[in-house]
Amino acid sequence: MSDKEKIILNVLQEAQDKKGYISENSLKEISLKYNVPISRLYGIVTFHTMLKTEKQGKHVIELCGSPSCVLNKSREIEKFLEKELEIEIGETTKNKMFSVYKTSCIGCCDEAPAMLINGKPYTKLTIKYVKQLINELKNANS
Amino acid sequence: MQILRETNLEGLKLAREIGREKVLEILSKKGLVGRGGAGFPVAKKWGLSLNTKAKERYVICNADEGEPGTFKDKFILKNNPETMIEGILIAAYVLNAKRCFIYLRGEYDYLRGELEEKIKEVLEKSKMKASIEIVRGAGAYICGEETAIIQSIMGYRGQAMYKPPFPVIKGLWGKPTVLNNVETLTNVPQALLYDDWNSDYRLFSISGDVEHPGVYEWKLGVKMSTILNTVKPKGKLKAMSFGCFGGIMPVDKNSEITTESVCKENCNHGAFSIIFIGNRNIVDICISIAKFYTYESCGKCTPCREGTIRLLNLLKKVKKCEATKQDLDTLKEFAEHIQETSLCGLGQSCGNHILTSLEHFKKDYEAGLK
Repeated sequence: MSDKEKIILNVLQEAQDKKGYISENSLKEISLKYNVPISRLYGIVTFHTMLKTEKQGKHVIELCGSPSCVLNKSREIEKFLEKELEIEIGETTKNKMFSVYKTSCIGCCDEAPAMLINGKPYTKLTIKYVKQLINELKNANS
Repeated sequence: MQILRETNLEGLKLAREIGREKVLEILSKKGLVGRGGAGFPVAKKWGLSLNTKAKERYVICNADEGEPGTFKDKFILKNNPETMIEGILIAAYVLNAKRCFIYLRGEYDYLRGELEEKIKEVLEKSKMKASIEIVRGAGAYICGEETAIIQSIMGYRGQAMYKPPFPVIKGLWGKPTVLNNVETLTNVPQALLYDDWNSDYRLFSISGDVEHPGVYEWKLGVKMSTILNTVKPKGKLKAMSFGCFGGIMPVDKNSEITTESVCKENCNHGAFSIIFIGNRNIVDICISIAKFYTYESCGKCTPCREGTIRLLNLLKKVKKCEATKQDLDTLKEFAEHIQETSLCGLGQSCGNHILTSLEHFKKDYEAGLK
């Protein structure tokens, strides 16, 4: 496939795959290579919640906030995550280990509440289960 | 389940044998309509594209299933992707399209690896000279809308555009583009191949306060009592919500679920996603839905961009018991106004949950008055 035919959204995703976010330098490189104005690229990146312009924690947690998850106590999980990681939704821990976001429906409504960790779904969440998952990730890094 | 029947490229083989005109004739006769919500006849859509003179045509499989409470396309992507891919290839054959896309939502990115392998496998076996590329969505609900998806693939912000021209006439890079969703395309080879294929079957995504949530297949017209007997409510149900955009209403055991019957004008079944709601405060549910719209509004139309925030703030006021009667009237007025003045389906439906719940569950709102 020629560069001209490449899907820009995929190019941006691939850039994010490498560093976990899309830096200004990456945007400049993509702009030159694919002949797309950097302003337009920045517009695309900031339009999509899953594309990030800032460095993220090693583990990105996205908790589903859709009605099915809310009915299944996702708000308790949300409070627990904030307390356990000592950050608010939308923030990254000081040690750059975790970033936590709330997301729209992730399509796991039949196994609610659910969240994605680094893009992989974890379902039927309980506080005990989430605590275990967080500890596993913390231990894997220590 | 009918949707899980495998076709092993026999549908494509048949299509190539009988030719494109005959394929359209069969799909039309069998009554295959789109499963994304609008219910547009597939043969008519493909025919419109075919009748538009062009050197190139494109096919897009919409796998940007983002409506809250909907997970039936994920079920197909996991359990019968080969048949869906075959559906894309049949569309490519009929339309003489060389380049096809699957717009896969970012939240399903973990399915991408396997899907890529399946695409490779099916393409090799089919010997079709077409490509199928996965476009990696990045968490924008609006990109499920047909004009937004096209903007997104072309390398712009995924914002909805004015119609006409419709994508089927002038879509990707100005060329005729057929857009069908996962469930629709999976039905294509099945409808072509099997005499007993029934056009009435739909996939239902059931979640909420029930013992057995999941994906079910029922015929249009299924009784609510049948659904309830299968999914087993956890206690008494107060309401049901058709996804986020379909509206919130009481559960009527005797009702039948068809595309027209239950919702009347204020709501829409869309992709048959039902979230059952037990004894909860409906305003609280509306807040979670309103947050969704605030978050997902693409920002193009002022009524939607600003209005969704105003709706959310008014709902929060009701929840805090700080609302006046005037606020409830304003809520209704805003919801109607945004619906009337927004460009795409998101804005046009973002007040449905409020309008329907104000009608059916007014007491929950009145409990929030000062």
